[in-house]
Amino acid sequence: MIQKKICMLGAFAVGKTSLVRRFVESIFSDTYQTTVGVKIDKKVMQLEGTDVTLILWDLYGDDDFQRIRWSYFKGAAGYLLVADGTRKATLEKALDLEERARKEVGAVPFVFVLNKSDLAEEWEIDSEAEAKLRSRQWTVLRASAKNGDGVEEAFMELTRKMMR
Amino acid sequence: MDSPLPQFLRELGFVLLEHRGDGLFAFLSPQPAWLNSLWNLSADFHQGIAITEKSPFLENFLVEADAFWASHQNGLCESETWIETSDTGKEVPLKAIALQFDGKRVLALHSPEPQFRERVQLLQTARNALLEHERLQREIQKKEILLHCIIHDLSQPLSVMSVAFDSMEEESVSERGKGLLALGRKATDQQLSMIRDILQVFSSDLKASLAGMDTSEAAPNLLVSARTVHASMSSVFASKNIQLRLDVPDDARLNWQVRGESSRIERIFSNLLENALRYSPPESQVTIRLSSDSEYVRAEVDDEGPGLPKDLPPSQIFSLFSKGKEGGGKAGLGLYFCRLTVERWGGSISCESLPTKGSRFWFRLPKASAVEKARTEKTKPITAVNDKGSPKKKSHPMRILLADDQDEIRLLTTNQLERSGHSVLPVANGKEAFEAARRERFDVVLLDEDMPVLGGLQALKAIRELPKESVPKSIIALTGYNSEPDRARLQAAGFDFVIGKPFRLDMLERLLGGDTGAEPNKIAESAEPPKAQGSPFSNVLDRVGGDEKLARQMVATFLRDTPPRIKGIANAAQQKNGSSLASLAHALKGSVAIFGAVEAHEFSERLQEAGRRNDFGEAASLAKQLEEEIAKLEANLRGYAGRERSRATGTRSKTKRRHSGPKRSS
Repeated sequence: MIQKKICMLGAFAVGKTSLVRRFVESIFSDTYQTTVGVKIDKKVMQLEGTDVTLILWDLYGDDDFQRIRWSYFKGAAGYLLVADGTRKATLEKALDLEERARKEVGAVPFVFVLNKSDLAEEWEIDSEAEAKLRSRQWTVLRASAKNGDGVEEAFMELTRKMMR
Repeated sequence: MDSPLPQFLRELGFVLLEHRGDGLFAFLSPQPAWLNSLWNLSADFHQGIAITEKSPFLENFLVEADAFWASHQNGLCESETWIETSDTGKEVPLKAIALQFDGKRVLALHSPEPQFRERVQLLQTARNALLEHERLQREIQKKEILLHCIIHDLSQPLSVMSVAFDSMEEESVSERGKGLLALGRKATDQQLSMIRDILQVFSSDLKASLAGMDTSEAAPNLLVSARTVHASMSSVFASKNIQLRLDVPDDARLNWQVRGESSRIERIFSNLLENALRYSPPESQVTIRLSSDSEYVRAEVDDEGPGLPKDLPPSQIFSLFSKGKEGGGKAGLGLYFCRLTVERWGGSISCESLPTKGSRFWFRLPKASAVEKARTEKTKPITAVNDKGSPKKKSHPMRILLADDQDEIRLLTTNQLERSGHSVLPVANGKEAFEAARRERFDVVLLDEDMPVLGGLQALKAIRELPKESVPKSIIALTGYNSEPDRARLQAAGFDFVIGKPFRLDMLERLLGGDTGAEPNKIAESAEPPKAQGSPFSNVLDRVGGDEKLARQMVATFLRDTPPRIKGIANAAQQKNGSSLASLAHALKGSVAIFGAVEAHEFSERLQEAGRRNDFGEAASLAKQLEEEIAKLEANLRGYAGRERSRATGTRSKTKRRHSGPKRSS
């Protein structure tokens, strides 16, 4: 059985826990519950006929109250970098975290997820900013933990990258 | 002797596991049920536990723990909290500590449930507050954008009306028509004033600008403002059979200069007086009273009305949309504006019921300190200002590029500018403006800020990047966003001047240098009186740096434009058209200032004030005296200009050389 460790990285309240819950348990809660500490889940998914067990490290959001410990990335095969499409500041935070991750743990595959795509009217990250992300040769996906759009695809795409 | 630490830790609820090597751990303490449930252990599990298989988190932590144990350091190595889920679905927070005692490598585990819940609650509250703060900021930002859009849209039709009135005034209109025009002009000005008030009250940009000192003028005099408002509102009070009194200590030594800005101080007085008028019964008095101490100047407005509602605290009376008990006010903005403005200047405002009858509304403002005065004097007015200096040697006519997407504005402004002798190329957007500027060099480019295809700011940037010889001398922004921060923003973006729309064409004319020449800012905005030195022509010559040709052109412009203005002033005084009188007198005041015509300047200023106050008691007599002074000035300039012309003949070639700039065609 192939196992791959994945970390969830992003600012607080971008929906990291919600994405994991949607992916693992297919559930979603509208109430924001902040993550304190680390929670680890597992999910087996099939990629081109092969079972891959994903060990999902749902890390707390990095902010002034809790700083990310980069030791959690030990053994990680990839990470989901998450921003909230309705809060532009979380994009800046994600860019900062990506830079720090590169310095601390080297070049690890990741997928950039712009979460909360269901809130189109409140969307703050314009197409120009999104295009800039893509111009860095990053995989950028819009997703919604609320309705499930793009969630499976994000984890699948990351798994593909990790398996290469 | 065994260490007392294990016993101590057990009593604290820690589970102790000894690292036996090969990744296996053995219990040093009884197995707690919660751990059995989490790791699916039997109650009497005596074999070594492969912890890394039980908990991926501990697998990760053991790397740090191994390093700690290998270092043989004292103390301990502590993990962060992680959460594991029991077979019943319960989430259990856990914490691990690596330590050593009695030569053993020990892992102590515990579940800090109460502390963890407390921490979660704390962080939840903090992050919720941050999210709410972000949400409010976004909301405020959206509302400000919406407000600016609304203000802009409301201003646009006024632009059309204003320019249309300008044009119609120049047509042959019957006396009745002129009266209707004045009425229309007055209504337009009133609506513009209301729009500005709304913007002032709501715009956080304005609040930000008010947070500092208003530097648009020297320290204002509260007594002068009180007199101005008293004079302008007395007739309104009289019409309701209410006497408006001004009660000021008779002491010439008192200093009434305060922190603030005179037009807004007058607005504060007006709002308080309107409020008093609303609640005053006929046959009563309203009194404006001023007093002064070492630090503040205080103003009171006393009425003899019913007094304040008992259940309404003063703070609420000055809050947003407060309308008083009877709802006698309008939108509930007036007193809110007063409080906002007074407090921004470091003052205070409140109200109280008087002992017998009536109420008192009062405010106090800090006296202007010498430092502030010095700072204020150093600062130039922001309206239609440029700090880079104006086009100092300007002659008419000019080649002007006008970019505005509104057909009416474009058509009418073009018409007006052409009537003034300028040659105008009108275009409908920034892109066309840029292309025109690339083909031809213009003296002045007027750019509307909001245009399709390419906006004013982008067009400005593109034009500024043209080769130096193609860049126009002045680029002026026409904007519907006419708050001070907006003007400052546009200036900072690189516009030489900023004109808020709707604008009066006479203002634009002055800005373009039509009759003010060297320093349009000062002439248009400054109240600095002229100094009588030398002849009128030498004064103007001095102002334009000895450029005789330009000085003669200014004289010619003055001689051409002044007679209709004098006539207009006389008509406005006769027809009691305050706004027209103030506007024409203001324009003339600027013109005569450059010739050092002290008396004419004084009469113009008094007429301007009379027009603003709608006080026509002396207007006709002042207009007559002004006409006489102007006649003297015209006679002097005609004669002097003639002498200069002959004298200048010998210097013509020099003058031509000095004017080696682009040729201006009409």
